[in-house]
Amino acid sequence: MTGSGKPSGGILEWLAIRNAVEKLGAQRVWSDALSWTRFTGSLALALLVLLCLTGVFMAFNYTPVPGTAYDSVDFAQFSLPFGGLIRGVHHYAWNLLLMVMGLHLARALVVAGYQPPRELTWISGLLIMLFIPVFIITGDLLPWDQKGFWSTQVRTSIMGSVPVAGDWMVRLLQGGPRTGIVALTRFYVLHLLVLPGTLLLLVGLHFHFVAHRGVSEPLFSTRERRQVSLFPTMVNRWLLLLLIITVALGAVAYLWPVPLGDPADPTDSNYIPKPEWWVLFLNQLVAIFRGPLMVLGTAVIPGALAAGLMVLPFIDRGPERHPLRRKAMLTVIAAIGLVLLVLSIMGYLEHYGPPPA
Amino acid sequence: MNRQVMGNWMLVLALAVALGLVMQAPALAAAKQELVSAKVKQAPAGLDDAVWKDAKALEVPFEGKEKFAGMKAAVTVRSVYSGDNIYFLFHWKDANKSVTKGAWKYDGQQWAQQKGNEDRISLLFEIDRINNFASKGCTVTCHGAADAPKKEWKFATASAAEKGDLWHWKAARSDPYHYAEDGWLTVAGEKTGRKVDEGKGGDAKNMTDDKSKPKFMRDPAKTASAPGFLLAEEAVEITDYAVFKAGDVITYQMPKKPSGSQADIQAMSRYADGAWTLMLTRKLNTGNADDVAFNAQKKYSFAMALFDDSGDENSYDSEAMTLAFGR
Repeated sequence: MTGSGKPSGGILEWLAIRNAVEKLGAQRVWSDALSWTRFTGSLALALLVLLCLTGVFMAFNYTPVPGTAYDSVDFAQFSLPFGGLIRGVHHYAWNLLLMVMGLHLARALVVAGYQPPRELTWISGLLIMLFIPVFIITGDLLPWDQKGFWSTQVRTSIMGSVPVAGDWMVRLLQGGPRTGIVALTRFYVLHLLVLPGTLLLLVGLHFHFVAHRGVSEPLFSTRERRQVSLFPTMVNRWLLLLLIITVALGAVAYLWPVPLGDPADPTDSNYIPKPEWWVLFLNQLVAIFRGPLMVLGTAVIPGALAAGLMVLPFIDRGPERHPLRRKAMLTVIAAIGLVLLVLSIMGYLEHYGPPPA
Repeated sequence: MNRQVMGNWMLVLALAVALGLVMQAPALAAAKQELVSAKVKQAPAGLDDAVWKDAKALEVPFEGKEKFAGMKAAVTVRSVYSGDNIYFLFHWKDANKSVTKGAWKYDGQQWAQQKGNEDRISLLFEIDRINNFASKGCTVTCHGAADAPKKEWKFATASAAEKGDLWHWKAARSDPYHYAEDGWLTVAGEKTGRKVDEGKGGDAKNMTDDKSKPKFMRDPAKTASAPGFLLAEEAVEITDYAVFKAGDVITYQMPKKPSGSQADIQAMSRYADGAWTLMLTRKLNTGNADDVAFNAQKKYSFAMALFDDSGDENSYDSEAMTLAFGR
């Protein structure tokens, strides 16, 4: 840029980003960072982008007021071109995101991807993973349908049972004891503004650590690793992945349109929401620990699990990464995973299985 | 392909299965009764058409109200859609065919209106969302002061923004023309919130000014298109009452040929073996503002009422249900 403000070296120069773009172009990354054998992280990012794009479309047509929120979602889904498809992609994308993040986490656990020097990569990733459910919880209320409304009642009552801060947290989230217009507004602002901003920060942090600490070396491959350019090679691979997942979820949303339930009726206490698949184990914990022990299921055990995962890099510091040589650690992890799976199956049978005779 | 690639593809497969489970969840979570309108290539030609076998039957329970309090009834409902139209098939037991609706009877000396009402069935859909209709059904369309007798309560929506689509098949007043009355529901006026759709239809009272006898009889020059009923378009004013003999019966409420939006719902019925079988047909989207426009992607809440030889206040009511469309 010259003092006169005129461009002296093309548009990049004029925008004063030439150095940054050149630096990015020269960046080399491991080819297996996004490959047939390692794609869950990139897929999670693609799903986040897809969620963001479909969310923006839905926000254009949404009214965060209890009397009209449902009608605005109904209108967008059934009266606007591709409205149903976009809401469907949004719905299936967050379901898939949870699964993909679960796999991403499982892979890191198996190959000890959390070990030094990647402690902060692991912790920032965990924070993202713990953060996504808050998105789902806030988004669930927005259509103001029976399922979202009554699921929120269950969640806030669980949150309210947390000692000392529970009631305060519920009031802070809802703006009062009841789920009404203030709660909907707060959930809307959280879902569209506060949470995406925070998530962007966390994803940025995660990538910062990935870039500086690298991805873990493959344990099972005998092929020699090679490096490729970040731009365009790796970016193109990721764009292809984004395209594939968009088409795939679009097809799923077309074949199995996501339903819009009945509008919320706050006076209909007969409606009993069924927990979604990803909270079945938590729901079962709440069902097991009742009365004064409830806090164990609502806060202590989930909190201990999260804390345990957070400190894992400081317990299992390596250098051994091969799962067969970390049998004790993997046995503990597998046992916890098995318990969560059994709890989920129990929850599924309780809520979705045949009614008791 | 090495073990790691195999492992990753197994994970993708597991994801696909899990996603399949997620897709099933909403269906499993359905609590209300759901009537699924099956998509068929060939529209049903009648009550016994084989195409009805493609539609899953829904047994809808009804609770009696007022005169029928404590009593129960049931209607078997099926639905299919094809091309532009949706079809409903109803079957319910009724020991007596009731089509009297106050018909005049001559005893040789004078005319008198017979006791007896008619059999009816009605459906209420939402044109514009009726608050809490999806969860509470027709209960939310009953308005009145808490201390007022229920006879004085008004059948209406709570606000002008809420609109219902009322389909009302009447054995004596709409069926002779092979239609169901097509009305809509809005906020209450002087009486109820019930309105009839644009166009013509309904029925006309057959009564002299002094209310002592019928004013009209069948025009001898016209062929009766609905034997047993006097249609308004086939009626002629009676000039000589001496032509009647003891036992003669003449319709009191003469059905009028529906037209415009009032002619949207065609009906085909049969009473046999102590049961009514009824088929209703309507365009999925009539294009009329006073009708619900069905979108096959969407689900609709609806509720039904059954009237067994009774007036509006005495009915059997269903809970709110869901109408979904098969693909």
